[in-house]
Amino acid sequence: MDLPETSPPAGSSNTSRASSALVTLTYEGVVRGARRLVPVSVFVIPFGIAYGVAAIEAGLTVDQAIAMSAFMFAGASQFAAIDLWQGPLPYLSLALVVLAVNARHLILGAAISPYVNQLPPGRWFLALCLLSDVNFADSYKLMKTGYRDAGLILGGGLLMWVTWLAATIVGVFAGAIATNLDYLGVDVVMAAFFGALTVGSVTGWRTGLPVLVACGVALLTMPLLPSGWNIIAAALAGGVVGAFLPAEDKGEREPTAHG
Amino acid sequence: MVDASSAYLAIGLMALVTLGTRIGGAYVMRFVPLSARVERFLEAMSSSVLAAIVVTFVARGSLRELSAVAVAILVMVAIRSPVWAMIAAMAFAGGWSMLAG
Repeated sequence: MDLPETSPPAGSSNTSRASSALVTLTYEGVVRGARRLVPVSVFVIPFGIAYGVAAIEAGLTVDQAIAMSAFMFAGASQFAAIDLWQGPLPYLSLALVVLAVNARHLILGAAISPYVNQLPPGRWFLALCLLSDVNFADSYKLMKTGYRDAGLILGGGLLMWVTWLAATIVGVFAGAIATNLDYLGVDVVMAAFFGALTVGSVTGWRTGLPVLVACGVALLTMPLLPSGWNIIAAALAGGVVGAFLPAEDKGEREPTAHG
Repeated sequence: MVDASSAYLAIGLMALVTLGTRIGGAYVMRFVPLSARVERFLEAMSSSVLAAIVVTFVARGSLRELSAVAVAILVMVAIRSPVWAMIAAMAFAGGWSMLAG
């Protein structure tokens, strides 16, 4: 689950030199990582419940809704996926939309790579397999100041995963017994959540312009393209605009906030 | 209706893609550093996709959906809390349905 309140790395490519002390991944680190995120994990509960209810409304079975949280563990992309959940399932657009929503993980992974890439393959995988905005933000901060246990990332991830799964289960069963979900406004949860995340991510014209272009492309291509593809076209257009904006000055970089 | 096997196939596929994004960034860095431009592309793309989903949802919906999203955005601008933005929009849309239905 990605929480919207964290900041991405400032120039991850500048951090390619970790200090000389060897990075490990220990049980103590895992426990410490989990403990540190207990207060933050509370904030994913309402999103997990909302996802569970919305998944049932979108037509997923109880098992499918829970499996999605267990195996994906990426809230925003799960909301995006259930929005496209109509048979026959559009596999390619599902995969591409999920890729676009979760592309941010690539930046987080690149930023933390100076530390985790020192680990042997098994532990390297463990350190990264539950990477999200929240445990990244916490671990990155600590590892930059010399902490050398990547168990921190895994432990934080495990706690968020358990919380996300538990909240999903609550939402799924609430959704399964509720009769008219429109009275709960469940159908607008995803759009409201994404609208809020988008607002949070716009900190100036550099972050605003790609979003504006994406909105325009999404609307213009909606009548022309099959379901979901207008979103992929818009994501690419926004990405290209962002890539070709002039690079910002060093000190000017502001943390964006979204999941 | 979505049959069970295609649902689980889709979930498995999306889980693999998501895992790929988690390990892909660090993996690529073993060989070539992510350029600032690629980073800006990924960053802009991940906010753009969310915005595109919102406008598509609003364009497909009625005044109720448009107003609910506007409520979420206003709450977010006012107090910077996605949780409260979501709750306010749900309450608004739920209230609308009750009054209209």
